Amino acid sequence: MIELRGLEVKAGGFRVGPVDLTVADGSYGVLLGPSGAGKSLVLEALAGVLPAAAGEVRLAGADVGGLTPERRRVGLVFQDGLLFPHLTVARNIAYGMRGRDGREAEVERLAEAVGVHDLLDRHPATLSGGERQRVALARALAARPRALLLDEPLSAVDPEARESLQDLLRRVCRERDLPVLHVTHDRDEAFALADECHVLIGGRLHQQGRPLDVLRRPADAAVARFLGARNVLAARRDPADPSVAVLEAGGRLGVARPLPDGAVTVVIRPEDVRLSAAPAAGAPAATVTRLTLQGGHVLVGLDAPAPLEALVPAAELEAAGIGVGHEVAVSVRPADVHVLTAG
Amino acid sequence: MRVRVSPFWALCAVAGVVLVTFVALPAASMIAGAGAGLLGEALRQDDVRRSLVLTVVAALITTVIGFAVGVPLAYLLARKEFPGKRVVEGIIDLPIVFPHTAAGIALLTVYGRQGVVGRLLEPLGITFTENVAGIVLAMIFVSLPFLVDGARESFALVDPRYEHVARTLGSSRFGAFARVTFPQAWRGVLAGALLMWGRGISEFGAVVILAYNPKVISVLTFERFEGFGLRAAQPPSVLIVIVAFVVFLLVRSFLVPRRRRSGAGER
Repeated sequence: MIELRGLEVKAGGFRVGPVDLTVADGSYGVLLGPSGAGKSLVLEALAGVLPAAAGEVRLAGADVGGLTPERRRVGLVFQDGLLFPHLTVARNIAYGMRGRDGREAEVERLAEAVGVHDLLDRHPATLSGGERQRVALARALAARPRALLLDEPLSAVDPEARESLQDLLRRVCRERDLPVLHVTHDRDEAFALADECHVLIGGRLHQQGRPLDVLRRPADAAVARFLGARNVLAARRDPADPSVAVLEAGGRLGVARPLPDGAVTVVIRPEDVRLSAAPAAGAPAATVTRLTLQGGHVLVGLDAPAPLEALVPAAELEAAGIGVGHEVAVSVRPADVHVLTAG
Repeated sequence: MRVRVSPFWALCAVAGVVLVTFVALPAASMIAGAGAGLLGEALRQDDVRRSLVLTVVAALITTVIGFAVGVPLAYLLARKEFPGKRVVEGIIDLPIVFPHTAAGIALLTVYGRQGVVGRLLEPLGITFTENVAGIVLAMIFVSLPFLVDGARESFALVDPRYEHVARTLGSSRFGAFARVTFPQAWRGVLAGALLMWGRGISEFGAVVILAYNPKVISVLTFERFEGFGLRAAQPPSVLIVIVAFVVFLLVRSFLVPRRRRSGAGER
């Protein structure tokens, strides 16, 4: 179990924290945030290579705040693997092994488990990004850590190799009953892996929860924007109807629950904005300003008159014959409008 | 097929030829002027042989001491920020811009019989004038910056996160340095040590002031030139140039990284 209680880290003039989070054994925690949020600093303080300015770090129930890194027994894997370049794969894996007996067999067993058994005599410079990460993982596991700390472990890996590595990471976490804290700026990676997400922005934890909760119900505008909500709009309650929000930029939106009095922020994910080609009578109309292909989807820029963005399957858009400059009808289900009251 | 050489590379090559000639010509002319017979004769002269061994060994002792004190300092400078760090770096580099005779005088005021340290050590029988200790002292003073700077540069090139990983794998600070950092930086450290050794054998100004005797090669050459002229001075200087050149060639070829076994691209 990883437990951080009021952890604060200082680096130069930058302050991170206080951070409170728990990752249970066999549970996969992701510390998610934009670059420069201080995620790596939290990991370094956890590993003990950076002193904590305040707070408590507990591993497997024991306070490890006063321990040097070599006595904390955490496994650390960085973005580029950081395999020791002067050692073969086998000797990299064996680096942290305790005891002399059965080393070779143990190295082979671990190499087998992470899928690098045919690379044992190679040097790190000859490995692909994915292979390096597998070796780095085996090396970390060989020292029998009490927790696994991963700092952007998939960022230098080809997209094709990424999925199988994600599976491996999940499997290692579950089968070895290890708590994992994985740092990333990639929200798709976070949602694919996490049991629980901890969103760190500007050195402060903004939200913690299951990935779907964080995605659908961001705690504030910063989280919403970082998670790609795109439509984060200032609004206030319609004096005549408490379940209608009047957007400051123009336009009206039905919401699921009555709004409080005063200013609110409404958050609509682009995939929840629906478009139809022929403006129906009474439905709010919008003009398509821009189309951007994203994978199998198209991000549609709209002038509605508030600027909105919709994410629509490419095939659907093509079938409806929607193009730049076209008038379209826009609809959003009231249940898909997430309302932020404070701030 | 005609191969076109870009004017840019041609210019670089011409500059290279001019420079190599500038350095090689005096050395070659000196070797040719001395002649094989004269060299052999010089080697049979006791004072030349003694001086050659003394110079090489004193520079070696210098380098070993420099390694022992210079490597920890270089590592500290590569890894840590502390108040006054720039001052420390400036002091370490000072001997590079010191006229070496002035360095000798400065050393004499501290380690000479009347010097602040020399006075304290003399009752213990430790002196630094007219002996090997004095030669080594002078050599260390003028050559240490080469090792410290070279080692610092190569330590700085090793990502400190390698040490972080090593420590989470159970290594102490020293273990991480010895097993992970030094094996990645040793080429640069060795190159610095080689420069230090080379600077040591070539030193004249500081050595001659602290220890005219026993005579290192540079002092012997000077003495022969003053007393017997150019021809007498050539053999000892030719010998030391040949020895240094051979050592440099050997170590440098050893320093060039081996090709990786599986031959895949370096990154």
